[in-house]
Amino acid sequence: MAFPLPRGITPPEISFLAEMEMVSILPRQRLEGLELLGGPIEPLLPPRRATLPLWLALLLKRQRRANILPPSWLHPESLSLILDIETQHGDSKGAFSPPPPLPNQPSAQEHYQKRPVAIPHYTPDGNRYFPSSPFLPQNVAVDQGPVGEAPRLPFHWLEVGTMLLEAASDDLVDPDQTRRLLKELREVRSSKMRSGVDVLDSAAVGGNVVSLTGVGAMEIGEGRGFISGVVDGLRRIGASKEQARREQMAGEMGSGGYGATQDDDDDDDMEF
Amino acid sequence: MDIDDILASVDQPDASTPQSTALDHQLLTRFWIAERGVSELLPWPAGLMDRTMERVRRQIESIEDLAASSSDPYSTATNSNSNNNPTLNLKLSILQTDLSRTQYLVRSLLRHRLSKLSKHSMHYLLLVSPGPSSSPQNNNDNDDDENDPHPQDSIPPLPPTSSNPDTAAPLSPQELAFLHAHQSLLAKHYASSFLSSFPPQLRRLDDNAGGTSMVQAPETKEVVFVRCLVDGVRVVVPAADAGEDDIYATAMRVGDVAVVRWEGVRDAWGGGRWRFYNTF
Repeated sequence: MAFPLPRGITPPEISFLAEMEMVSILPRQRLEGLELLGGPIEPLLPPRRATLPLWLALLLKRQRRANILPPSWLHPESLSLILDIETQHGDSKGAFSPPPPLPNQPSAQEHYQKRPVAIPHYTPDGNRYFPSSPFLPQNVAVDQGPVGEAPRLPFHWLEVGTMLLEAASDDLVDPDQTRRLLKELREVRSSKMRSGVDVLDSAAVGGNVVSLTGVGAMEIGEGRGFISGVVDGLRRIGASKEQARREQMAGEMGSGGYGATQDDDDDDDMEF
Repeated sequence: MDIDDILASVDQPDASTPQSTALDHQLLTRFWIAERGVSELLPWPAGLMDRTMERVRRQIESIEDLAASSSDPYSTATNSNSNNNPTLNLKLSILQTDLSRTQYLVRSLLRHRLSKLSKHSMHYLLLVSPGPSSSPQNNNDNDDDENDPHPQDSIPPLPPTSSNPDTAAPLSPQELAFLHAHQSLLAKHYASSFLSSFPPQLRRLDDNAGGTSMVQAPETKEVVFVRCLVDGVRVVVPAADAGEDDIYATAMRVGDVAVVRWEGVRDAWGGGRWRFYNTF
């Protein structure tokens, strides 16, 4: 076999991706800037903060060369706020706490005031490129978050949280409380994932989408096999029903002039 | 010099800037995630892979230079700059970790492409072969009268290697060569093990008698997980027949994460606009 892994990235690969998230560190020693294949690394000058990929921050942390500044969401207060949001809306199905907005996504509050301008980067091929997780500064420590903005769980919250708890628990505010809250969040959210299974039925029809907005990367990774298995199984069962629906949809979309051809199609099907 | 280089020189004054390295790294990562998540083979990103491989080669050289300088007899013998050595070791380990991470991405990407290729080899061969395989078919029909057909005959010939670099080829030249060799071996093996005892008209590997094609294509209706990056992109229900029009269904808002059929979003990939979606 050329490649043994199944389709769709597996949990270890999701952790690998999460290690590309940028975090803030407080270096303890100087290090000149480096040109890495993943992009340039700024020089480390001890009193100044630096923003590095998580894998590099963990490497420096394990060698006691730096301290990691925990992201603002990984704080007991923020986590218990998010947990409140999650449990308040627990009865309404599938209501995960909202994810952090994308750079080109207007947030609900400032929709009319200051719409952040999307800054598309351009690829060398001349196409527009919008960065997304893990290349967004969702885990960088900020001194003062936007006022009135509720803390939000980033896409790779579970992986980043677990890795920071494991390697840099002495840098976190209250590691035991944080660990407990993360575990509670995980349980609340995974029970939501399980209770939301019913909506998968609708995804078996072409053109429909099942929204998973707010679900973290690892949670998707856990549910991937089940979700795609259920949807594909339902699709096979409902293939003939979908064909009929398609024709009905096409009939509705088409104007009266298409009526005659539509009848012809139906006649063709009757012969089968 | 191909079109990618020209565009790169127009868009960015210097393609070797650290910013373009970071951007290419993000593109490679996103392409890897998408390739891992999607059931069919995505078009080969020739420009991106060329740039990445060139950078990997240069990075290996610079790491070797650094390693050689660290074992320089003068610096170790005198030990005068011993405070510099730990930094150098740290630098080396950082550079090597970074290199391994990129190499892992490239290796995983290529291996997954190979596994897709070998799973649906006949489908992709027919896809890349020039012309709708009518000319080899006719040749074979003529041969049928004289001698027994071989399963190898159903393998379409390779397209000319000097193909236009402007067109986005689905496969890299190396993958094409692998694909052809793989399918030839497979056909020979089938022929020698059981197909030679079949009636001559049942020996073709791309047999489509009875309205059922023997060539298995990847399932495009399988679901993928996507994040919408631009507002108002609609999910497409592609037309089943040539006569019908595509139906545009649910529109997604920016930032939405959803489970959707691959065929519903693959058009956003086709026209070079694949960055509308972050498939994973």
